[in-house]
Amino acid sequence: MAENSPRLNQFKNKGKDVNELRRRRVEVNVELRKAKKDDQIFKRRNVSAMPEDATSPLQERSQNCQGLRQWTVEEIVAGVNSGNSESQLQATQAARKLLSRDKHPPIDQLISAGLIPKFVSFLGYVDCPPIQFEASWALTNIASGTSEQTAAVVSGGAIPAFISLVTSPHQHISEQAIWALGNIAGDGSALRDKVIKHGAVAPLLGLLAVPDLSAFSAGYLRNVTWTLSNLCRNKNPSPPMTAIQQILPALVRLLHHDDPEVLADACWAVSYLTDGPNDRIEVVIQTGLIPRLVKLLGFEVLPVVTPALRTIGNIVTGTDEQTQAVLDAGALAMFPPLLRHKKANVQKEAAWTLSNITAGKDSQIQEVINAGLVPYMVELLARGDYKTQKEAVWAVTNFTSGGTVQQVVYLVQANVIEPLLNLLSSKDSKTILVILDAITNIFMAGDKIGESDKLSLMIEECGGLDKIEALQSHENEMVYKASLNLIEKYFSEEEEVVQSVIPEVTNDGYAFQISESQSTFNF
Amino acid sequence: MFIADIRKDFYEVVANQRVVLLVAPDIDALCACKILQALFHCDQIQYTLVPVTGWQDLGTAFLEHKEQFRYFVLINCGANVDLLEMLQPDDDSIFFICDTHRPVDVVNVYNDTQIKLLIKQDDDLSVPSYDDIFRDEDEEGEDSGNESDEGSEPSGKRRRFDEGAVERRIERQRAKREWEARRREILFDYEQYEYHGTSAAMMFFELAWVLTKDTKDMLWWAIIGLTDQWVHDKITNMKYVTDIATMQRHVSRHNHRNEDEENSLSIDCMRISFEYDLRLTLYQHWSLYESIYNSCYTSCSFKLWTLNGQKKLQEFLADMGLPLKQVRQKFNSMDMSIKENLRDVIEESSNKYGMKDIRIQTFGVHFGFKNRFLASDMVHATAALLESAEKDDSETDNFIKALDALSRSNIDRLHSGIALAKKKLIAIQQTVASCICTNLILSQGPFLYCYLMEGTPDVKLFSKPMALTLLCKYLLKAFVHSTRNKRCKLLPLVMAAPKDVEKGTVIVVGIPPESETSDKKNFFGRAFEKAAESTSSRTLHDHFDTSIIELKTEDRSKFLDALITLLS
Repeated sequence: MAENSPRLNQFKNKGKDVNELRRRRVEVNVELRKAKKDDQIFKRRNVSAMPEDATSPLQERSQNCQGLRQWTVEEIVAGVNSGNSESQLQATQAARKLLSRDKHPPIDQLISAGLIPKFVSFLGYVDCPPIQFEASWALTNIASGTSEQTAAVVSGGAIPAFISLVTSPHQHISEQAIWALGNIAGDGSALRDKVIKHGAVAPLLGLLAVPDLSAFSAGYLRNVTWTLSNLCRNKNPSPPMTAIQQILPALVRLLHHDDPEVLADACWAVSYLTDGPNDRIEVVIQTGLIPRLVKLLGFEVLPVVTPALRTIGNIVTGTDEQTQAVLDAGALAMFPPLLRHKKANVQKEAAWTLSNITAGKDSQIQEVINAGLVPYMVELLARGDYKTQKEAVWAVTNFTSGGTVQQVVYLVQANVIEPLLNLLSSKDSKTILVILDAITNIFMAGDKIGESDKLSLMIEECGGLDKIEALQSHENEMVYKASLNLIEKYFSEEEEVVQSVIPEVTNDGYAFQISESQSTFNF
Repeated sequence: MFIADIRKDFYEVVANQRVVLLVAPDIDALCACKILQALFHCDQIQYTLVPVTGWQDLGTAFLEHKEQFRYFVLINCGANVDLLEMLQPDDDSIFFICDTHRPVDVVNVYNDTQIKLLIKQDDDLSVPSYDDIFRDEDEEGEDSGNESDEGSEPSGKRRRFDEGAVERRIERQRAKREWEARRREILFDYEQYEYHGTSAAMMFFELAWVLTKDTKDMLWWAIIGLTDQWVHDKITNMKYVTDIATMQRHVSRHNHRNEDEENSLSIDCMRISFEYDLRLTLYQHWSLYESIYNSCYTSCSFKLWTLNGQKKLQEFLADMGLPLKQVRQKFNSMDMSIKENLRDVIEESSNKYGMKDIRIQTFGVHFGFKNRFLASDMVHATAALLESAEKDDSETDNFIKALDALSRSNIDRLHSGIALAKKKLIAIQQTVASCICTNLILSQGPFLYCYLMEGTPDVKLFSKPMALTLLCKYLLKAFVHSTRNKRCKLLPLVMAAPKDVEKGTVIVVGIPPESETSDKKNFFGRAFEKAAESTSSRTLHDHFDTSIIELKTEDRSKFLDALITLLS
């Protein structure tokens, strides 16, 4: 690293060092991910915002033909307020049923009918477990809505009530309470921290303090895991460190469970925890779960592989030492199938992970080479989907900036030039700049061993020169400059002699620069 | 969408606009175009005429005109693809499609803003119903509910559903899958065969009639359009006879109109008459002998490619009692006494020789006293001009020449077309004879196959789609007459001929099996597509008839193998 530093700082990526570069990469990714999530939420809202009359009378009837007659909101309000415990139960159940139908649950109507405080009070009816259960379910579904709807449940005082139900002797009530807490915590950082402050973590972890996790039903354990994952989720701010320290051992245990859904949610939880600054990553690494995560990378189940890969990818955005921990666990051996995975998204994430590893020390780049991953990288460059190609481009550029001359030579021998240059036809000027960086880096390696001419020839032969030349008319100023630089430096030998006698503009006027070579002309 | 009232929904819409006519290269389209041009002249509607030879041409023509024009009239092209998908037009371009190609693409049928189909709904269309093939998007969108893609981040909040709700959702998904499977099946059945509907020229003649602007010229063009469908074997006998009857009613109406006017026999008058005439191609412009020799019907019946057949022909002529000298000279110069009841004489002898259908219902026309033409004469002459392989002639030149030949004022052009047509028929006849005699037609199992090699005489002529199709039909008829293999008589035929030697391409045509009762439905369009796809052969599906494609010569054998596997 030390011997590379000066060179890196001098040339690479407009003077940014490895860490900075890496952080930038992480931010871009997170932003993309967030944008996608917002899209989804927006979509879901759209659906729930559909006018109520979109449900035709015909559908209503068919939906309820097997159950009893459907209650109106007024009837529910009357039942809940009746003071008769039997009618209260029936009304609560009716409300729960309305909220559980698959189209257009009347969440807002029930909220404006002032039912939330009533339902919250029912949560405390220890003598009547059925009404506790129905009220929990109803509130769960209200909390599954928009942020405002979730907030309405919270301001009704539901959090402490649910937390005390976590330890209910009735498992189905406990499960429903945990689900509800998950919905509240899943709303965002603020409500998540509120749930934590009310002391939800301890009883939840208490549940898992049994010798054998398989004592629980699969559904129950999955709800616990999902709710725990929501307690780890969201940033700005991230969850409090103390809570994380408490939760992590349980997550490690869940990561060794055999139910794929539980595994998936536990993996997502650690992926949230590693999606942050290096000290957060360090906390996770300290639990020693990396070898297990690496093993999960080889799982055939996509819902497990995705978050496991994301976690590994997050960890290698950390320090070189943290990255080394992943490499030491043998992660690279798992990569060939991931880089050729049938899901384009997995390929992309794997390439992203690789790009952060090649941004490390040259010894780490050497490990990538030794694992035989370079040909895969080249393959993705040539044939991946566009997003994957972009990640592969980053992997190559990082490789060329941090690698030794020998390593760069190996990369060129692996035929990286042609697919890399083909991507210059990309519409995205950012990608083009990254590619031009890589080419510059490769040329600098070539300069060192005096093979630049050969490189120029290779680039010209695969049609790359035409592409670089075309970029000189690119609308983006930086692209123009970078391509011009390359052309002037490496592709204009014939004109060089002429150029050197062109008067250079200096402050004093024109100065003729007579180069050394002219005096040594010999015929 | 199908337009209900051709006058209101089409003619009055374009009446004060400038329109583009995009016309496919076939005789029916040319005739339809002539009728529309005549109407536009009447009402001083400005139009631009663009001949288009294939889909690429159509796309280019659209791009070139979409800025200046809103209205596009497509004649004998455009109905059998999703036109909006192909052309990607702006929202305000409107397409009027008068096309005989079937099946009509379902999107064209159900688009009611930009696609207006000038197609008779009583044609045998059997379009799948809307609900069977389209589904509203939001209905599907809600199905996915909370479920997200496998492997994506879990949702932050989850609603708990009724047990029943989950089941209903599963049920709905199952129903959706079933619906999709059924949709595929319905579309497969619907799109499986290619065939042709009512002639475009007849459609526009009907428009002229509704507008009470129909003239004898227009009527004649409509008849030629219909006859083109018969000559090029695009419609069933049943359909032909029905449509002939329709045209006959119009002919009687027109003849009745100026019956008592003496000038109906003036030099430039035009008289159309229904004829029960001979199925001998161009016989009134040839010698009887050459016509019999080169007509598909007679040459196949006699098997003229055999010695025995030649002998039989001589016997036949003797049976009719016609002196060879008369038979071999120009029909025009034959003795009047022979010509008088010639049709009856020929029919009588033909019956003896097993040619029961030597006569056919058709129409003839007199231009003044001298010029008499049968509708089929017109078709052969214009087709020969349209696909003329003379040097120097561009495709547009040919198009204009063929269009001109349809005008009464251009008798010379028409005669030059007849001369070309004779050459073409002789070439077809000789090629058929040589293919049969040298056993060039091979049975591939599910179909017959014949490849015309580079260097075959007249091979250049058969690089054109209409000429090759005609050759195909004649060849298959001849083969069915000559083979003793009963199974082979029921097979369709695929024929390939060199298209462009420099580019190394061949033109490939597939036609349905030959039979009296054939429904003329052609499945080769789909089959060619599939075979090309599965072998990634370099093919060009540019022709408006999907059963005509271009293919790289080197890919011929793998394409053929795939086709055999596909159809066995």
